[in-house]
Formats: sequence, C-alpha cells, structure tokens
Amino acid sequence: MIPNLGNFSLWLAFCFAVLQFVVSYQKNNKSTLYFNRIAVNGLLLCAFLSFLSLMYSYLVSDFSVVNVFHNSHTTKPLLYKISAVWGNHEGSMLLWILVLAIFNYFIFKLYNKTNSIFISKTLETQAFVTIGFLLFTLLTSNPFERIIPVPTNGLGFNPILQDPALAIHPPLLYIGYVGFSAAFSFSISAMSIESIEKVPWYNYMKPFVLAAWTFLTIGIAFGSIWAYYELGWGGWWFWDPVENASFMPWLLGTALVHSLVTVEKKMMLQKWVLLLAILAFLLSVVGTFLVRSGILTSVHTFALDPARGIYILVFIGILGAYSLILFALNSKKFLDKNYVSFLSREGSILVNNILMIVVCFSVFLGTIYPLIIEAFSNNKISVGEPYYNSTVVPIVIPAILIMGVVPLLSWKKIGVKKIFRKTLPSIVLTIIVTTIFLWIYQSYNPLGLIGIILACWVISNIVFTQNNIPKFSKSMVMGHIGISLLILGVTGSSVWQKEKIIRMKLNDETIIHNYNIIFKEIKEVVGKNYIAIQGNFWIYNNKKSIITKLNPENRFYPVTNNSTTEASIHTNLLRDLYIVLGDGNEKDGWVVRIYYNPLVVWIWIGAFVIFLGGLFSINTNIKILKRLSL
Amino acid sequence: MRKKILIFPFIAFFFVLLVFFYLLVIERDPSELPSVLIDKKVPTFEADSLLNKETFVSKNEFGSEITLVNFFATWCGPCRDEHVYLKRLSNEKGLKIIGVNYKDDPNKAVEWLEELGNPYSDVIVDSKGLIGIDWGVYGIPETYIVNSKGIIKYRLVGPITKKKYNAFYSKIKESED
Repeated sequence: MIPNLGNFSLWLAFCFAVLQFVVSYQKNNKSTLYFNRIAVNGLLLCAFLSFLSLMYSYLVSDFSVVNVFHNSHTTKPLLYKISAVWGNHEGSMLLWILVLAIFNYFIFKLYNKTNSIFISKTLETQAFVTIGFLLFTLLTSNPFERIIPVPTNGLGFNPILQDPALAIHPPLLYIGYVGFSAAFSFSISAMSIESIEKVPWYNYMKPFVLAAWTFLTIGIAFGSIWAYYELGWGGWWFWDPVENASFMPWLLGTALVHSLVTVEKKMMLQKWVLLLAILAFLLSVVGTFLVRSGILTSVHTFALDPARGIYILVFIGILGAYSLILFALNSKKFLDKNYVSFLSREGSILVNNILMIVVCFSVFLGTIYPLIIEAFSNNKISVGEPYYNSTVVPIVIPAILIMGVVPLLSWKKIGVKKIFRKTLPSIVLTIIVTTIFLWIYQSYNPLGLIGIILACWVISNIVFTQNNIPKFSKSMVMGHIGISLLILGVTGSSVWQKEKIIRMKLNDETIIHNYNIIFKEIKEVVGKNYIAIQGNFWIYNNKKSIITKLNPENRFYPVTNNSTTEASIHTNLLRDLYIVLGDGNEKDGWVVRIYYNPLVVWIWIGAFVIFLGGLFSINTNIKILKRLSL
Repeated sequence: MRKKILIFPFIAFFFVLLVFFYLLVIERDPSELPSVLIDKKVPTFEADSLLNKETFVSKNEFGSEITLVNFFATWCGPCRDEHVYLKRLSNEKGLKIIGVNYKDDPNKAVEWLEELGNPYSDVIVDSKGLIGIDWGVYGIPETYIVNSKGIIKYRLVGPITKKKYNAFYSKIKESED
C-alpha cells in the first residue's frame, strides 16, 4: 500500500514539474504566479511524500519492495535502516529529487513584482532539470519496484556503509550538487532575459551558491571522515573518480563564490560567473554520470546499467547544449569595461579563479584521461595519486599564497611597497612559527615546510589585519582560517605519516614514533548485527606511562557474509594513533597495521570552521536578499 | 575574435560527451580488468571440495580441456542472476566449469546448488578467500577462462549477463587460438 502511494506521488510530482515548466514558459501574467504556487508546493509535497514512503518501507522492512529487499535486513540498527534509503542508487535519486524540490521552493519564495520575469524563467529551467531527474528515476531506476513472492528477509546492507559519517554524507553532498542547479537556472535566466540590468541576478544567485558550496564542503569532509575511520587504509583521500566528482564542483564553486563577490562590488567578471555557474552544475551531473553509468570502475560504483548511462548522457547533452550555446550567443551583453589591476582584491580573485580552474581541469583530465585513452587506443591505463600530487599541489601553493594577501588588499589598486609594509609582521610571524614547528617535528621535508609556511601565512595575515576587516566578511575570515587549518592537517598527515605493518603475537611489543605498543589480549565480541574479534593494545609513551588502550575490531556480518575492519584511533590535537587488526591466529600471530598520523584532526576542524563561515555568509546574504525584495 | 572564444566551452564540453557516448555504445566492459594472470599458468592449489569428500588438486584438473573457473557465493545477488548462464554453458555447450565458493557458508552453498541446479563439475570451498587472493579476485562474481593447456586466457569481473553471454562465449572459443 505505502510503496504504491510512494510511486503514485512520484508520478504526481512529475505532473507538477511539467505544470511548473509549462506555466513558467508562458509569457508572464497573473495566472502564472497562481499556477506556479500550486506546482511548486505540489512538487515539494509529492517529493516529500514519496521519500517518506520509501523510508517507511525501510523502517517496517517491507521486502516486497525490491529496493528494500536488496539493501536491508530485519536485524539492521534503526539508524542504518534510515540511511539505507539513500545508500543505494534508486533511493539516492529520490533524495536528489527531494532536495531539488526544496531548492525549487526557495527560488519560488523570491517572487515579487520587480523580478517576476526573472524568477519565472529560473523556475522554468529548474522545472526542466527536475523533470529530467524525475523521468530518469521513474523510467530507469524506480525505487518502488515490487517483487512477488515477498522474500522473508532482505539481502542486507553493505556493512562498510554502516557508519554514522556515511549516513549523513549523501544528504549533505546532494544539497551541494543540487544547490548548483539553482545557480545554473539563475544563470540561464540572466542570459535569456532582455532587461536583466534592472535585476541584481548575482544577489539572487549568491545565497544558493554559498549554500551549495558550504554543504558540499562539509559533505566531502564527512565522506573523507568515513574513509578514514571505516576503510582502515590509514588515509582520508584516495583520488578515486567519485571523490574527484565531488571535488571538481567544489573547486568551481570556490571560484564562483569569490567571483560573485567581485560582481557584487565592481560589476566585473559577470560573464565569467555565468559560465562558472553553468559548469559547476554540469560537472555535478557529469559526476553522477560517471558514478552511475558504470563507465568507470570505482569503489563507489553503484549500479552498472548502460541504459542509465545513455539516459544521463543525453540529459547532460541537452542541458549542456542549451546552456553553453546560450552562453556563446547571449553573454556578450555582460560587458566588462573595467580594467583589472593585479594588486587589488578583484585582481587576486581573478588569479584565484584561474588557478581553481586549472586545478579543476587537471583533476578532470586525470579522471577522464583513462577513458579518452581507451576510446582512441583501446589501452587500459589508470591514473593515480602521483599524477594528482604532481599536478594539483604546485598549483594550489600559489593560490594559497595569494589567499594570504587578500585581506590586505582593497577594491582598488594598491602599491607594491605598501603591501610589503603591511605583510612584514606576518612574514616575521610565519618564520617564527614555522621554525617552532620544525623544531618540534624534527623533519625538514620541503613539502612539509611549504605546507606549514602557507598555513601560518594565511592565519597571521588575518590576525594582523583583524581591525581592517569590515563586519560582513567575518565569514570570509572563518573560511580562510578553516582552509589554513585544513592545509595544516593535510600537510602533517601526508608528509609525516608513519606506517608499520607487522605480525604480532600476544604480548608482543613494537615501537612507532616514540610510542610503545603492546598487544595484550584478543577476544570475541558480539554486536547487534555482527560478531567481531577485538584486539586489545596498550600504548605507552617513552616515559613508560600509559597513554591509552586501543581496541581495533574485525567485524563479521553474517547476513551479507562479509567482514569489515574497524580501526581504533586515539586522537589528540597533535597526532592520531591508528591501529587496524588484520587476519591471524594464536600460533602465527595477527597482522597489525599501525599508523602514526600527525595533525589529522585539523582537517576535520578546518572543514568544520569553513562550514560555519559558510553558514554565516548564507545568513548575511539571505538578509541582503530580503532587503532587496522589500 | 572575442565572440568566437565564447563558443569554446561548448566545443570542449561536447568533445568530452562524445567520448563518453562512444564508450557507452561500443561493446565495452569497464569490469574487464587487466589481470597479471592472463597468459600465465593456473595457480596451483589444493582445497576441500564441497560436494565430495576428496581433496581438489589443481594439477589434476586443468590442462586437458577448456575450463571455466567461477567464483561465487550465496550472499552475492549478481551470482544468482548469472547462474542461468552458467547452466547454459555447462548443459548446452558442454563446458567444464569449476566453482569456487568464495567466503561463504558451505551448508548454504549446498542448499543453493540444490535449489538452482549445479552447473559445476566440482565446487571448491574457499571460506577464507585465500584462493581468491591467488587468482587476484577483485569482487565476485568473477569468471576465468583457462584453455586446454592450463593457461588463463581471460578474466570477466562481474556477472555473465544476457548481453554479455555471446561475447563471453566467443572469448571461450578464442582462447584456444
């Protein structure tokens, strides 16, 4: 019954989306607003109902639904019954549609007398995007498909996905991806409307872009946290195609957020912003395509079905053709007459933009290069970490250097001497702090040195210009501080990581970076839907006093018949100790992997600070919007 | 001149889409992972057999006729889908298929074979996945084609589906050349 309702309301949502498209397409009149209200609310309600129905099916373990049968089991903990809704291809498309409907609703809320044509056009594009995804879901990946006879129990949910960080990772990420759809629609709308000079389209676009970017940031961070804690490989980023698929829109989003500010202040870079908004969304959808079509093999690959691939590809083709041709024809009217000086805020933002685009392009090339090679030569190659490290890192370094100077610059040209005078204190501070760091860690790796210098550079510049920064850009300060903390973490954990893989018997002892680790005990533990063997390790420091006890587990899930490793981690602000228990037995001992990961926690702290900064900024920009619509 | 630059994003974008499209349309299988074992001898191993009491000795089994080695488990949904095609290969084409029951409960595997039928000439128990490691198994189901000289000629990652069946069968035929 309930699944039927879900299916029905999904079709109904489709009807509302079509209504919204048709109504918004009409030349503006009074009935447009009236019908749009019905369509927008109806779409939101139906998408929500449909989503709830699927969630209900999971909660009551209704195995007549194929999707539930494939991804759930009665013994699964409640949290993971809920998160299983979006832990699979079909359900995640439903979530995608729900988020689209929510953003759609917020766009509709912006309606007023002065902007009605602009918003109508935006809603039209938004409706088109929604129709595309609804059709995709309904035709190729309907989450409400049934089976007869009803199985007595489900096949279970991949235990590796049963993790709190991963439960909230997709919703956050989708707010990011889908948020860019709003930017896309605004961009289309701005380019297609004749009298756009009267509408501050950038002010409308900005909170949506900020929301998308902010949630994408924290979404990626949660994915990374999951990889770190759950995969047990000791790292947090693997340059997997799916990670790249989220990283590319993030890079473009970063560029977009910054250049929107320039448009707002100086009416410069408009064309550029319009293009970025289009590309950010197209890349989000291309990311979905890469993951869902099975064109690439990746640890994240959900659903290998070429029919889905063709569908998304055609859809991307239509969106891309329409938007990019429109851009080629209509963006001429957004003329920049201003001259950009390098030594000004707008100049540095422009450089930042270029660097972000270059990074994004490098990542894109690395991701699709194997595909292009295969298309032309039939050889299979794979592009891995070394490529990304040697292309991305050198471009990011100057970007961060410039980022450090930005708070000192103003919206007009400034002399080189003046800049030097202003940065002198932070240069000194940077040198001091870096020296202290090197003294503590006793390591002179050049990359590590650069990372530390950059992090200090950004922070000290902000500290010394504290008083000059006007109130509204506190969020900028937070964002930049967050980035520098993140760099600190990234540098520490990648440059100074130590790894040890050994076979240990009970009471064996080993040393990693001034820590003595003793393997004390091994026992069996029973969880709600798994059994596990658990190792007990005591960690001493070099003064022989105990620091902590770590209990890594090797879990076995009988339902899906697979095992996961649960790393056990001791975290403080300076380092993580990370132990993973492998296979073994009493006689030969167990394989144990031990990592010493300096400064990892700062990656998460940094991401969270950026997230907070983003939230503040969203808030500020919504206020600006409200003032506009009065 | 500046006008012409504006069309560039469109051209670049469509070039990429064309590549994607080409790859989707051609007979291509992203799960066709290159394996270091291709053109090498079958790894030697001994293991328990699921259905009879004898030990399975790899030396005695390979090298006389074309043999498929199929890694499967009862907990793997796609394995169930592929089972029909394995039966067709065994019944209609008369091929010898050795099943490796990968990280599984042997009792469940016996039930599964009773329920769905047994296309395998022998089923090896690999409850710890050690044989899988030797063969470089990536994720199951996986099927290897071993020719009559005991050389591994092809590896298919993922299930044999309706669409892949014919292509896979022609790979089997090719493996003798």
